[in-house]
Amino acid sequence: MSDTATDRESSAAESDDGWTVVVGVKQVPDSDEVGIDPDTGRLDRANAPAVLNAPDRDALEAALSIRDAVGGTVTAVTMGPPTATDVLEEAVAMGCDDAALVTDRAFAGSDTWPTSYALAEAVDHLGADVAVCGEETTDSSTGQVPPGIAAHNGWAQLTYVEDVDPLPEEGRLAARRDVEGGHERIAADLPVVVAVAYGEFEPRPAGLHRKLYAETDFEPLELTADDLGIDADDVGMDASPTQVGGMETVDPVDREKETVETPAELLDALSDEGVIAR
Amino acid sequence: MTDAETGDAESAPSEVDRASDVWVFVEEHAGDVMPVSWELLTEGRRLADDLGDDLVALVIGEGVGDAADEAIARGADRVLVADDPVFEPYRADPYGTQFRELVEERVPSIALIGGTHTGRDFAGRVAVPTHAGLTADVTELDVDEDGQLLARRPAFGGDVLATIVCPEHRPQMATVRAGVFEAAEPDLDREGDVERVDTVVDEAETLTDVLERNVSDTADIIDADRLVAVGGGTGGDLGPAAELAEALDAELAASRKAVDEGWIEGARQVGQTGKTVRPELYVALGISGAVQHVEGMNDSEVVVAINDDPNAPIFEHADYGIVGDLFEVAPRLAASLEGEADPEEVLQ
Repeated sequence: MSDTATDRESSAAESDDGWTVVVGVKQVPDSDEVGIDPDTGRLDRANAPAVLNAPDRDALEAALSIRDAVGGTVTAVTMGPPTATDVLEEAVAMGCDDAALVTDRAFAGSDTWPTSYALAEAVDHLGADVAVCGEETTDSSTGQVPPGIAAHNGWAQLTYVEDVDPLPEEGRLAARRDVEGGHERIAADLPVVVAVAYGEFEPRPAGLHRKLYAETDFEPLELTADDLGIDADDVGMDASPTQVGGMETVDPVDREKETVETPAELLDALSDEGVIAR
Repeated sequence: MTDAETGDAESAPSEVDRASDVWVFVEEHAGDVMPVSWELLTEGRRLADDLGDDLVALVIGEGVGDAADEAIARGADRVLVADDPVFEPYRADPYGTQFRELVEERVPSIALIGGTHTGRDFAGRVAVPTHAGLTADVTELDVDEDGQLLARRPAFGGDVLATIVCPEHRPQMATVRAGVFEAAEPDLDREGDVERVDTVVDEAETLTDVLERNVSDTADIIDADRLVAVGGGTGGDLGPAAELAEALDAELAASRKAVDEGWIEGARQVGQTGKTVRPELYVALGISGAVQHVEGMNDSEVVVAINDDPNAPIFEHADYGIVGDLFEVAPRLAASLEGEADPEEVLQ
C-alpha cells in the first residue's frame, strides 16, 4: 500500500536527526498455562494462550526512552508466524513508530544460532543504531539471542543493562550493567545490541489513540529470508547446531509438608532433624 | 595430525572427528576466581576421564598466574593463559575474540563456561562465529557411548528436564548453572602444563570502554550451610529476616521479587535466573514459591516456610511450614534461638 510505504520512508528520513532504534520482541506461550501432555510427556504448548514475552516490556520501555532522549525512531521486530503480529501491535500501541514481522517457512525449527542470524540481518536491514532486547524469553530462557545478534553483525553488546544513557555527541551508548556482586558503567560504540535486565524499567502504558491505530489501521512490514538476503540453507532446523535429544518430567522432591503451630515446635523439629542444636 | 597427513579435503576427518579435549573456562575478576569455575573443573575432569581426553583450563585476564596454577591443582592437565591488560576488567568483545581464536585453532570437543552474567554474556561471541552448539543453563552433564555430550537443562519452569545434543558441530558448548556441581579439593601435587597464548585482541579495536566498576557484595550464598531467604511478603522490611539469619548464623538470600524491588543485591537471588543453592537449612520468609524460585532451592536438605497465605505453593516444597505473619514469627524464632542456645553452639 503506497500510503504505508510513504510513511515508512518519511520516518526513515527523520532518523537522520536521531537514532534508529530497533527493539526485538517475541510471542511466547503464557508460562502459567503450559501443561504437559500425560500421554507423550511432551509440553502442550498448543493450548496455552500466546502473549508478549514479559521481559520484552522492559526492552520496549528502554527503546522508547532512548528515542525520548535523542530523537529518531523505534521499530519493533519479531520473528515468527503471521499470528505473531499481535505482539507487534502491542509494541506500536506502546509507542513504537513502526514494526516488522520476520517470517518465512525457512526459519522453522531454528535454534538460537539461526534465530540470531535472521534477527541480525533484520536489524541491519532496518539500519539500527541500537537494537534493544529483553533479558531472555520465558519459553526458552537462554538469553542467547541478544549476544548472538551482536556476534553475527560484529557489533558491540551490553547485557543485563539496568539503565541506558545515550551519548549522541560521542556516537556511543553508556549503560549501567549488573555484574556478579556489583555494577559497572560501560560505554559502547554504535551500533550496539542492548539486552535489558528484567524488571529494571517501568513500561509506559499504551495510549488509547495509539492503541486504536495499532489494532485497526496498522500493518507491519513483512521481511522474508529472501528480503534479508538469507539463504534458506543457513537457517531453520538444518542450520541449528543443537537438537533436543529428549525430555523427561522431573519428579517432585519428597518433602515432609508438615504444618507446625509455634516457633518452639519448629525448633524442636529442626533439632530432631539435626540441622540445629538446642 | 598435520595437513600433509590428512591428505585431500575429501578424506579429511570431519570437525566432529577432529575435535578433542574438554575445555573449562576459568572466570577471574581482579584476582578472584568465580567458584563455578572450580565446580566445572571437577565435572570436566569426570567427562575427560570418561572420554579419555585431556582437561584443558582456559584462563583469561591480567596477572592470572595464580589462577592458572590453581586450575592444575583443581584437575586440569593443561592450562591456556591469555594474560594481557586488555582483558581487565572483563568485556564481552575482547574475551569473545580471544576465546574464539583459540577454539578455531584447536577445536575442543567440549567447552564449559559458568552460567554467570559474564559467561552468558560472551559465550555467544564464541559459539556464533564457530557455529558451535551452545546450551544454556545446564544442570547435568554426561557423555554417551559415542562420546557425544548430553547437556541437560530445566525447561518450562523446571517441570521438565530437556537433554540437548549437538551431533554435527564442535565444540559442544554449555553455560552451566553455578552451585549445581561440587568442587573437589585442590591437589597441590598435581602436575600439568601452563601455556601462554598470544593475545589476539588490540585495545584500539575494542568496541567498549568500562568507565567504572563497583563490585562490593561478594556474598556467596552457594557455600552457606544455612540460608534465610526473603520474598515479596517482607514488603522490603528485611529487619526480622536479618535478625533470624544472625541467630541461625545464616546468610540472607532472596527471591527474584525481592531483588527486582531493589530490597537486596542480585548476588543473593535464588532461582532459575539466580543461583542454585543446597544448604542444610533453607528458611523461606514471605516467599510464595513460584517454580522458578523452587528450582534454585529444591536440593536443600531441610526447608522451612513461613507465610501468611496457607495456600502459598511454597508449603508444597517445605518440610515444615508455619502459617503466620513473618513479622511476628521470625522475631520469636530468633528470640528462642538466642535465649535457649548460644549461637556459637548452634552446630550443623
